[in-house]
Amino acid sequence: MTSSAIEATGLAKTFRRRGGWALRDCTFQLPAGRVCALVGPNGAGKSTLLALAAGLIAPSEGSVTVLGGHPAHVRPRVGFVSQDKPLHPQLTVAETLRMGADLNPDSWDAATAERVVAGGELDLGARVRSLSGGQRTRVALALALAKRPELLLLDEPMAALDPLARHELMGTLMATAAQYGTTIVMSSHVMAELEDSCDHLLLIGDGRVRLSGDTDDLLAAHALITGPARGAAAPADFDLAPHTTVESRVTGRQVTALVRPEGPLPAGWQTRELSLEDLVLAHLRNPAAPPLTLGALPASASPQEATSASAMSQETTA
Amino acid sequence: MTALAPTTAADTRHPSATPRLTRWLLRLHRPALYVWAGLVIVLSAALLWLGGPLTDAAGAAWEQYNACGEAPTCVYDQPSIIRYKDVYSVTTFAVLTAPFLVAAWAGATLTSRELETGTAQLTWTQSVSPVRWLTVRLAAPAALVAAGTGLLVALHHLAWSAGEGRIRTAKSWSDFPTFYAGGIVTVALALLGLVVGVLVGLLWHRSLPALATSVAATAGAFTLVNLALPHLWPSVTRVTTRTQGAPSGGGLTVEQGILTSTGARLPDPYCGGDVFPDCRATYDGLDAVGYYHDYHPLSHYWPLQLTATALTLAIGALLVFAAFRVLRSRTGGAPRRGRTTAV
Repeated sequence: MTSSAIEATGLAKTFRRRGGWALRDCTFQLPAGRVCALVGPNGAGKSTLLALAAGLIAPSEGSVTVLGGHPAHVRPRVGFVSQDKPLHPQLTVAETLRMGADLNPDSWDAATAERVVAGGELDLGARVRSLSGGQRTRVALALALAKRPELLLLDEPMAALDPLARHELMGTLMATAAQYGTTIVMSSHVMAELEDSCDHLLLIGDGRVRLSGDTDDLLAAHALITGPARGAAAPADFDLAPHTTVESRVTGRQVTALVRPEGPLPAGWQTRELSLEDLVLAHLRNPAAPPLTLGALPASASPQEATSASAMSQETTA
Repeated sequence: MTALAPTTAADTRHPSATPRLTRWLLRLHRPALYVWAGLVIVLSAALLWLGGPLTDAAGAAWEQYNACGEAPTCVYDQPSIIRYKDVYSVTTFAVLTAPFLVAAWAGATLTSRELETGTAQLTWTQSVSPVRWLTVRLAAPAALVAAGTGLLVALHHLAWSAGEGRIRTAKSWSDFPTFYAGGIVTVALALLGLVVGVLVGLLWHRSLPALATSVAATAGAFTLVNLALPHLWPSVTRVTTRTQGAPSGGGLTVEQGILTSTGARLPDPYCGGDVFPDCRATYDGLDAVGYYHDYHPLSHYWPLQLTATALTLAIGALLVFAAFRVLRSRTGGAPRRGRTTAV
């Protein structure tokens, strides 16, 4: 039996000050042991979702279960690094790590903390306020990793880092996570940053789940196809039923479409290589495309998600 | 497709040690801690100086003055008396600022700044629950504030009582600054300032506005307590006739006015008394037969101090409750666990 790292059911959050829904009716399940990319445009609700899972804010509707418990009950087992990497500016790096040890008395691994920090040529006696963005990220990651979390939530961890530091820190992160079998959920809007390291995708847009599932399964469920335009000028003129069309574009006499095949593709269409980035971009460009959730769903999934799940089971049996 | 049952591996780690949060709270607010310690030490020294050498010198000066009797010229140590008065005023004022200093500090830094910069959330994502975070942020400063303010008001009370009967210009117990600076109610007000600062910080998440709001709210609470003060304990009434004149002096006034022949109470027109014919006519017109004065004598000092302290602490307790409610509505709190964890 696979256990789940995060299970969300009808999860929604509104902020009174901003108004509107930051997140609405989110139902998904994230298996443990995965490295999950949380993708979506700015303002899609990525940070809200991570803060809900970290037990920092309360949901307006629905519920989220983390490592089988309420987010408030699993704090010692969850690591979180928020987008702006808050640290106490008046403490030194060494003091910050000592604080981590004092605040996580049961799980702190000083060796991990030192290893993560050591990579950045950091002076342990330097005050946090004097650190560069990359160094701050490193200290924040050290705090999160050294508590040896079973689930690590990272909100745009590599933003504002140069490519070299990004590559290097990502390596440290993945090595440490692999060592402890940590489940990672990492948000980003830079797909390239995640494509190599992630095996699970959660795409949210406008506060809702658009795509959720194993990356290989998601790629297998879609096909990027090209065929003759046959005089049609607009994508709307095409009817690729019974296949679900996510996006179609007419270029000259050719049509390129991203579809979810419901059976054998029509004759005369060619399948092209589909990357995760293509898949994500096509869904972001077409907010009207129906959401797709692959894999297990929480027990009390809402009807809408259940529909998309049953649609999928049709696909796989077809 | 099977739905996943919640895993039960949730409690494999048995909590053995509690996070050492107080130590880091003190480390993070070390400058404020030093300032507070310095303030308490300097002010304590000043109050000891006031109650000891300054009171002795001023008392001796008053003895010299009294010994002069009706003599046309009198040589006495006037500078000592003036120095006593000045130091008394300054230290009294300084003790009274304690609740506002505490409110300003608590409002500006204790919760608002941490929520503003995200370091509160950083703590909550360590193994520390928001409730514990807030508890430590209330309890540790409360202990230091209570200890510091308690010492200051005790020393002020001692310094003030040392001058009783020796210094003719010493303030009465019912003098507003003296009553508060030398009373336990100021300890409660300082604690209230702390709670107000914490609550406002939780609501606003912004350092500077929270500072201003906290100080203003503490001033408001102070005013409220002071308005309620005369009514917190049954007062004593003194009645005098018109020929005796309006009662003067003595204690904390609750209400005063004139009495009619039917015993009704009317506001005093303050026309100057029976010696003035116009005033006599006014009193006759009002059917006034005498004066009444509701007041608190010195024997009510402790009942008033203690009831005002209780009132202040009750307001503080409500605000503490509100602070935890605000935090809970923000973070969702922790529902009761389905099963208890064996330790």
